[in-house]
Amino acid sequence: MSVVQISRLAKNFGKFTALNGVNLSVEQGEVHAFLGPNGAGKSTTIRCLLGILRPTSGEAALFGQDAWTHAVELHKRLAYVPGDVNLWDNLTGGEVIDLFLSLRGTRPDMKRRKEYLDRFELDPSKKCRTYSKGNRQKVALIAAFASDAELFIFDEPTSGLDPLLEKVFQDCVSEVKAQGKSMLLSSHIMSEVEKLADSVSIIKEGRIILNGSMEETVVRGASLEDLFLSEYDGRARA
Amino acid sequence: MTANFYRYARFVARRERVASLVWIAALTLSFAGIAAMYPGLFPTKESLLSLTATLNTPAMVAMMGPVYGLERINPAIAMSQECLQWFAIAMAVMNIFFVNRHTRVDEELGRHEMLASLPVGRLTGSAAVITAAFVLDVAISLLSAIGIIILKTEGVTATGALVYTFSIGMQGFVFAAITLLAAQLFSTARGCIGSSFALLGLSYVMRASGDMSGNVLSAISPMGLGLKVEAFYTNAFWPIAALLAEGVVITLVALVVNTRRDVGAGIFAARKGKQNASRFLQSPFGFAWRLSCGSFIAWAVAFLVLGAMYGTVIGELDSFVKGNDMIRQMIESQGATASLAEAFLPMLCGIMAMLAAIPVIGAITRLRIEEKRGRMEQIYARAVSRAAMFASFATIAVVEAAVFTLLSTVGLYATSQSTGLLSLKTLAGAAFVYLPAILTLAGVAAVLVGLLPKLISLTWALVCYAFLMMYFGRLFDVPQWAVRISPFGNVPQLPVQEFRAAPLVALCVIAFALTVAGYFAGYRRRDIAA
Repeated sequence: MSVVQISRLAKNFGKFTALNGVNLSVEQGEVHAFLGPNGAGKSTTIRCLLGILRPTSGEAALFGQDAWTHAVELHKRLAYVPGDVNLWDNLTGGEVIDLFLSLRGTRPDMKRRKEYLDRFELDPSKKCRTYSKGNRQKVALIAAFASDAELFIFDEPTSGLDPLLEKVFQDCVSEVKAQGKSMLLSSHIMSEVEKLADSVSIIKEGRIILNGSMEETVVRGASLEDLFLSEYDGRARA
Repeated sequence: MTANFYRYARFVARRERVASLVWIAALTLSFAGIAAMYPGLFPTKESLLSLTATLNTPAMVAMMGPVYGLERINPAIAMSQECLQWFAIAMAVMNIFFVNRHTRVDEELGRHEMLASLPVGRLTGSAAVITAAFVLDVAISLLSAIGIIILKTEGVTATGALVYTFSIGMQGFVFAAITLLAAQLFSTARGCIGSSFALLGLSYVMRASGDMSGNVLSAISPMGLGLKVEAFYTNAFWPIAALLAEGVVITLVALVVNTRRDVGAGIFAARKGKQNASRFLQSPFGFAWRLSCGSFIAWAVAFLVLGAMYGTVIGELDSFVKGNDMIRQMIESQGATASLAEAFLPMLCGIMAMLAAIPVIGAITRLRIEEKRGRMEQIYARAVSRAAMFASFATIAVVEAAVFTLLSTVGLYATSQSTGLLSLKTLAGAAFVYLPAILTLAGVAAVLVGLLPKLISLTWALVCYAFLMMYFGRLFDVPQWAVRISPFGNVPQLPVQEFRAAPLVALCVIAFALTVAGYFAGYRRRDIAA
């Protein structure tokens, strides 16, 4: 059974077609990279998976259950980090982390919370309004890693992190993977993706144009970045 | 649909911990405090009767609502008559901001998405927010009722106090529900706030016109409904029940709409914008104007409508006086040569000028708001001087003040000219004489933006003070110096009083000096927040 199973997913916003038959699956224990330029439909796909957007047609399922109908139950098993984290000015980072953890319905594991606070070097006693973009990103990442989620959905999670923290992030992903957990990782940092991902899907104008395991995909180009650029070269030349 | 409701509601409460305590304290204290003041203000039956005689004129009925309980008049009834509506407006404003903050603002900033990715139901957020607003409204109603009962103002009964405060509270709740619905319909926080305030304004206008002509409009408006409790007199419960029912029904509609829309989207789609910036927009002034023009247009329409509404009031004054010997005597006894219409004109223009000060101050504080959101950085990183931006916003404020005054005059004239009571020249004089006072408040905003940007809200405190002085200064014996602190207290009351240029020139000089000081001593040299 695939952890994530998307088939023929379509989403229209009025007359605009954001997704036009997306097929994508993530297997148990796999880190699946989800690539595409801005506006190609990555975030829309992810929001359909989270049951935040209702698909126009097609299916989006998690753990074999429909993502829209069973949203609340499914969300107990996943953790999500968006690329642009905005927080509440008058709460501290620590409070937000506790909120995110406790809304999952389980008691927050304080040991894990402390562990990830240390690893990401975040001061949880500061108000969110004083955090920089990178620090707000850390809050969301800590809340995600300190949870006991089985599936991680990351939408450009490292935008705003410095190289040291990006290394911490990569270590965390490897550990999560070693525990047999799954991940859908959307990112623009090709080197990061190449290091972490087992398989990759590339989306263009609301359709998946390339899908395969990392090894066989990269063989087709010199590197993931070359491949990505060549897939979109047509656009650049035209 | 509402999984994790309690945790979410607790989270809303946590976010509001400080703000809601401040609101509760401020509103409770003012509701109860004013109640304690009333017996001192109207010590005798005669003073109360002369107050109600003033209130029982068309202009005042339009402004304050219908008069009741004349034969049993006491300080509590007088208070309810004069204050209930304004406190209800304060309550509605609190509710509108509260609900908007937790709905559209969260959605716009992408925070809602993070919460939605957790195991919370699709309606948890909306349900928790409206519940929190309701609890806040009930808490304020209960506490201030207790306060009023403890203070034992003459004429206060426990039932009366409860009816009085719950009418205020439930009007607030109706506007919380309206805002929740607006949050589903509009795809931006601005649209949500704007439409909610528009409905608040419409509700006031409907009440005023309904009460003036005795038609059903006033019962449809939540504000008109709220006044029908006749607190400390008939103590009717049904308007409160009706308001509660109204709020619940609107909430249910909002929740249904909520389940039918995409997150981030509204029912009214955002329009497509222009492909290119016009030449005008590419200048600092054009940019400042572009940021201001939306609210400018909305307020411009509002002042035209408000002027027209007050204009109809002037038309009815005369016929009203013909049938009312007491009022005629009152006016004649004052030895005034002025007609009733002329006597009421300064108050109408003063209220409109005070309202005009709100968007005018807003035009100046926008500079600070843009800065706080970190957007001025983008502008000043380019070849734009601080002087250009500061002057642009100041110019817009001056233009807005003049245009709003002009439009309210035009509105007044349009609906009152058929009566032939007031010439255009009289109207324009009475309205424009307030312009320097509006500009002085804008000057205060400018000096604060420059020198003490963190204390910018002092300007709004001054507006509230000016309003209280204009309002209570007429009714009660407030010392002259206290009235004079408000810029509006220095304006000659045309056409009743003589025109005097000196105070107006002084106000203009103060306004100019404050603005210049704000720039040279503050804005030019201080840090711009990143």
